[in-house]
Amino acid sequence: MFGERAAELVRGLHRAADGHLPAFNEDGIRQVLEEMKALYEQNQSDVNEAKSGRSDLIRTIKFRHCSLLRNRRCVVAYLYDRLLRIRALRWEYGSVLPNDLRFHMSAEETEWFNQYKKSLATYMRSLGGEEGLDLTQDMKPPKSLYIEVRCLKDHGEFEIDDGTTILLKKNSQHFLPRWKCEQLIRQGVLEHVLS
Amino acid sequence: MFLSDFRREFYEVIVTQRVLLLIASDVDALCACKILQALFQCDHVQYTLVPVSGWQELETAFLEHKDQFQYFVLINCGANIDLLEILQPEEDTFFFICDTHRPINVVNVYNESQIKLLVKQDDDLEIPAYDDIFRDEEEDEDDSGNESDGSEPSGKRKRFEEDIMERTMKRRQRREWEARRREILFDYEQYEYHGTSSAMVMFDLAWIMSKDLNDMLWWAIVGLTDQWVQDKITQMKYVTDIGTLQRHVSRHNHRNEDEENSLSIDCMRIAFEYDLRLALYQHWSLFESLCNTCYTSASLKLWSVQGQKRLQEFFAEMGLPLKQVKQKFNSMDISLKENLQEMIEESASKFGMKNLRVQTFSIHFGFKNKFLASDIVYATASLMENIEKDEPGTDNFIKALDSLSRSNLDKLHQGLELAKKQLRAIQQTVASCICTNLVISQGPFLYCYLMEGTPDVKLFSKPVSLCLLSKYLLKSFVCSTKNKRCKLLPLIVAAPMAVEQGTVIMVGIPPETESSDKKNFFGRAFEKAAERTNSRTLHNHFDMSIIELKMEDRSKFLDALISLLS
Repeated sequence: MFGERAAELVRGLHRAADGHLPAFNEDGIRQVLEEMKALYEQNQSDVNEAKSGRSDLIRTIKFRHCSLLRNRRCVVAYLYDRLLRIRALRWEYGSVLPNDLRFHMSAEETEWFNQYKKSLATYMRSLGGEEGLDLTQDMKPPKSLYIEVRCLKDHGEFEIDDGTTILLKKNSQHFLPRWKCEQLIRQGVLEHVLS
Repeated sequence: MFLSDFRREFYEVIVTQRVLLLIASDVDALCACKILQALFQCDHVQYTLVPVSGWQELETAFLEHKDQFQYFVLINCGANIDLLEILQPEEDTFFFICDTHRPINVVNVYNESQIKLLVKQDDDLEIPAYDDIFRDEEEDEDDSGNESDGSEPSGKRKRFEEDIMERTMKRRQRREWEARRREILFDYEQYEYHGTSSAMVMFDLAWIMSKDLNDMLWWAIVGLTDQWVQDKITQMKYVTDIGTLQRHVSRHNHRNEDEENSLSIDCMRIAFEYDLRLALYQHWSLFESLCNTCYTSASLKLWSVQGQKRLQEFFAEMGLPLKQVKQKFNSMDISLKENLQEMIEESASKFGMKNLRVQTFSIHFGFKNKFLASDIVYATASLMENIEKDEPGTDNFIKALDSLSRSNLDKLHQGLELAKKQLRAIQQTVASCICTNLVISQGPFLYCYLMEGTPDVKLFSKPVSLCLLSKYLLKSFVCSTKNKRCKLLPLIVAAPMAVEQGTVIMVGIPPETESSDKKNFFGRAFEKAAERTNSRTLHNHFDMSIIELKMEDRSKFLDALISLLS
């Protein structure tokens, strides 16, 4: 059935949980493109024959054309959704992505990501006076500026913004500015203590 | 030095600083820490909390953090030893110490700059006067200056003689003064005891600043109840402090008394209760609780067959069917529960248990959750000394700390289960010690050694459990022995600690009498005995009356103790 593989691409992406980026399905894309190419070539030759008077071919040509359009829509949807996900990654992980995620992206996507990073950085620099404003912090208004965190493993010394350092040792508990901890919490060094 | 205005001299100093909290592992310290944390969260005071379980950990924690912090807050540790001597801090480091351990080291008391003590002045401190224990350095210098003068050959002979007279006089005075100083210090340091609970001190601080919450009040109650459960304070002191807290309780919990001011059932309410002194009975069965509470089991002598009979008689007297008392307290017949407390008290006084009810507090929230202050103490204490998993002590500390917040009910319930196990273990050990006559009178004190291989012996390598065991053991022993002299003796219990290293942990507790002032002289005695015999001991615990020593040194150490005390 035509269009089946393209729909499978979209379905695969849909199955992946929100905010999760599955590996780029290069094989799937190639198969769809091959299918499209074959459809196009068949149509091309049938159109030539139809011009010479075989009007019964026109329905087949129309059907193939619909399949072509559908394939295109699916591939575009697949790529676009991936871009949205990649964009969300920048807001979640910051400008440096973890390695396993980077391997999940195609070369073009990586390039796009870098450009997005750049334009976001330029924009953020232009905001909030001299030093710029980090828009990725505090996406929702925080309840308090400081949070209580607990250290899950020995991390060593950690510098906070006023220039002082603190020692992150397993099972010690700290009360720190929220925005300094967010990264370490994502890395699994700290745990937010809710009381 | 003692601080008089905690708010101005302590809180307003640290509110703009980054603070290191060093918290000892006992329930009172945890509660004080919770209150302080809540205050710090209000005022955005950045802090780091490090649990410490002994002097060694305190020292390493200090060394690790001394470059990053200037202000250290020590809770339930540090007051009874010369802190500057063991930590060797820089000049610009400040220590705020909130500790229940008494006597407070005199150097800590008279250090004006670095050591600040958060201690209630109304406690009976009996600090020796400054002039009696410290002498100005200048006088010594004068002394040595005279000496060099006198040795000059140019001085006249007569003056030289006067000089000698003067010097010998001074020396004699100094000797007398030193002897007096030793005596005063000995009197002062001889007995170890506990002062007002740290949690209450911290709650007072919060109250002065009008930042006290019902939650903080509850922690203060738990802190005080911990002192009572661990038998650290006298009954008098407990009742007085309960009175103080009751005033706060009625101030905070007056709503919900009439229709207009009703509160949602989910809100937390603290109530003053005159409740049964049975451990965990609301979460256990009445039968189990009676069997495993020290007071009842010692009074009924439950380790003997007769005792068991007496227990049955006791239930019969109250008219409670065995089927009912052996099932969960929550599922007991409502009609039986109605007048249960009065009923039990009435029958108990016939069996010689006059003080079965005691003033305490309870907390309610939601439909299901009702806890007595002592329930929380048992649960938290047993979480702190959980031996089921081989985790480092700090993991247990964190779990215990979590169990104190109301949002972590599952941890609290886990703690309750552990506490039941602990109480059962203690009860069984006490019964077997008494039945096999393991408690021996050594002359000046009673002694009991738990053999390696006794069930639950691992639990008793932990200080708090061991202390609890020894208190239960002594109470039961006093009830069981007919020897009148033995009833007035203190007790030493030893248990193996780390088998690979061949160490034992030893704890001494004061005698169990009606008018006991809970003052413990074993701290000094242990120190002296160790000095005399050159035993390899380790004074790691914040309580001086708990020591670790090598297995082989045990007998000579005990011999020295006997000769020292008799």
